[in-house]
Amino acid sequence: MSALALAWAFLRHRPIEALVTLCLAALAVGTMVVLLLLDAELKGRLTRDLKGIDLVVGAKGSPLQLILSAVFHLDVPTGNIDRAQAEAVANHRLVARAVPLALGDSLAGFRIVGTTADYVALQGGRLAAGRLWQDELQAVLGASVARRLGLGLGDRFVGSHGLGAGGGHGHDEHPFEVVGVLAATGGSLDRVILTAVESVWRVHERKPGPARTGIGGIQPAEARDELTALLVVYRSPMAAAVLPRWINSETSMQAASPATEAARLFALVGFALDAFRGFAYLLFTTSALGLFAALYGALRQRQYDLAIMRAVGASRWRLFGQLLLEGGLIGLAGAGLGLLVGHLAAWGLATWLAASQQVPLSGLGWQWQELLPAGGAMLLAVLAALPAAWRAYRLDVAAVLART
Amino acid sequence: MLEITTLTHAYAGRTVLALDAWQVAAGEHWLLLGPSGSGKSTLLHIVAGLLRPSGGSVRLAGTDLYALPAGERDRRRGRSVGIVFQRLHLLEALSVLQNLALAQSLAGQPVDRRHLADLLSRLGLSERAAAKPAALSRGEAQRVALARALVNRPQLLLADEPTSSLDDDNADRALDLLTGEAKAVGAALIVATHDARAAARFVRHLTLPKAT
Ligand SMILES: Nc1ncnc2c1ncn2[C@@H]1O[C@H](COP(=O)(O)OP(=O)(O)OP(=O)(O)O)[C@@H](O)[C@H]1O
Ligand SMILES: [Mg+2]
Repeated sequence: MSALALAWAFLRHRPIEALVTLCLAALAVGTMVVLLLLDAELKGRLTRDLKGIDLVVGAKGSPLQLILSAVFHLDVPTGNIDRAQAEAVANHRLVARAVPLALGDSLAGFRIVGTTADYVALQGGRLAAGRLWQDELQAVLGASVARRLGLGLGDRFVGSHGLGAGGGHGHDEHPFEVVGVLAATGGSLDRVILTAVESVWRVHERKPGPARTGIGGIQPAEARDELTALLVVYRSPMAAAVLPRWINSETSMQAASPATEAARLFALVGFALDAFRGFAYLLFTTSALGLFAALYGALRQRQYDLAIMRAVGASRWRLFGQLLLEGGLIGLAGAGLGLLVGHLAAWGLATWLAASQQVPLSGLGWQWQELLPAGGAMLLAVLAALPAAWRAYRLDVAAVLART
Repeated sequence: MLEITTLTHAYAGRTVLALDAWQVAAGEHWLLLGPSGSGKSTLLHIVAGLLRPSGGSVRLAGTDLYALPAGERDRRRGRSVGIVFQRLHLLEALSVLQNLALAQSLAGQPVDRRHLADLLSRLGLSERAAAKPAALSRGEAQRVALARALVNRPQLLLADEPTSSLDDDNADRALDLLTGEAKAVGAALIVATHDARAAARFVRHLTLPKAT
């Protein structure tokens, strides 16, 4: 009968304490795994979206909001900017490339973005089918949009006013035609509908009635002299010292640095993650203490079993190892269950966030760092078993067996 | 086989056992008598290698038990000594068969299923192999404890008060089994008891005096 089989039999004989500590360990490991996965995926996505963009220019307001709305398509825009001013920036000698964005409408919660072909290149997009827009009211769909809405080449749709999921009134008189579908990039490009800037202007021209205000109080870039934002790529590093200052002081626009704002966002998110991490450490401690108490407390009941094992030939070290093995097994099961629960929870949470908050997370994937909490749980379990193992090692067999 | 010289044992300075010389030859059956507190259990534990005596030596099959390293002494006990306790101490977490298999593997032997099955059937326990100790009758449990002591074909079989909680019939049967099985495996047998009913069955007696 192997040490493993024996440990298993002992654990099964008194399963409650073992199960409780196992579940606590699994929760601790699971929490850490969820944090790791979501943190890594979020950072990965944000960094990919930001890649290549040196500066975002938009209406004055919160710089973080500007980045979120113009790059990640998460928040509402800060407002509109003057086309002439934007062109002045685009033509600046320190600017290599400037990509205009005109927002205002959406389809089933997906934003319709008026821009140029440069935007696709900047975000690393590639056509999966069809071609890019060449004329007004032609649209290219991000991969998720095409999949979720079931739209394909040649299909027609009308955008609705505003950026919210419910949308405002429809623009029935200006249907878009799908001319292309992009391949999935894993970035925010998957969640937008691209078209020419002129399409956005066209849809909002000579609109009757009072509806100048979009959903969320946002003015769509509707006049031919307005844009929502400008994504800027520098020609030389020197631009970083000159351009933002010039834009912020000499124009009515603001310039926000994606790097700075992303760092601020990570710090904000990191703070929340730290709180959860603290909670996970608490769970680790609780499960280790629980395991210690379970093993140590059971020694009184088990002293005869242990003494008999010695009487039939087991050495002191064998008993020591046997108890460590029991602790280790609980740790191992806790770690395994924790990894499983963590991945399931990350997937569930990401799916929920994606559906309800438009935060583009999948919760899938794998990080080598997961091995740290898993290994930590096992190590902690073995450590928690040490006192009990030491008592078993020291057991006075003759005294126990003489007791009747 | 077993050779004891100038053995003494004291608990916290109080001497409870003093035995000048005692020899047990292979296959001999001995009855260890003495009033309660005379050190019978203490002597058995010392002989089994479970309790280092305060003085004197214990030679088992020619080797001084307490000159061996602790691990080696444990191994030797597992292979050549079988012990039956008054409280049987079967492992509740394990089945009857597993209790026997554990004794075999803790002694460093491979688990021999044929041998275990033979042993169980010889003691009339074949039907109970999968049962947990809690489900056994007192007589069945007693036989399992004996089977566990016999598993490794010991040269020396020790029994501490094997009959004290049994009625006459069962005491007789238990002693029959012990002596019979000891004979069957060719083991020397030492039975410690203050139960006078056993006296008549043994030729060789060692009586310990009440400790002063
Ligand atoms: N671990 C121990 N620590 C201190 N004293 C002990 C210990 N074990 C036994 N004793 C004492 O040593 C003496 C001998 O004990 P032992 O158990 O060997 O006697 P015994 O002959 O087996 O008695 P009984 O017939 O009651 O089983 C007793 O006085 C007992 O109280
Ligand atoms: Mg006794």
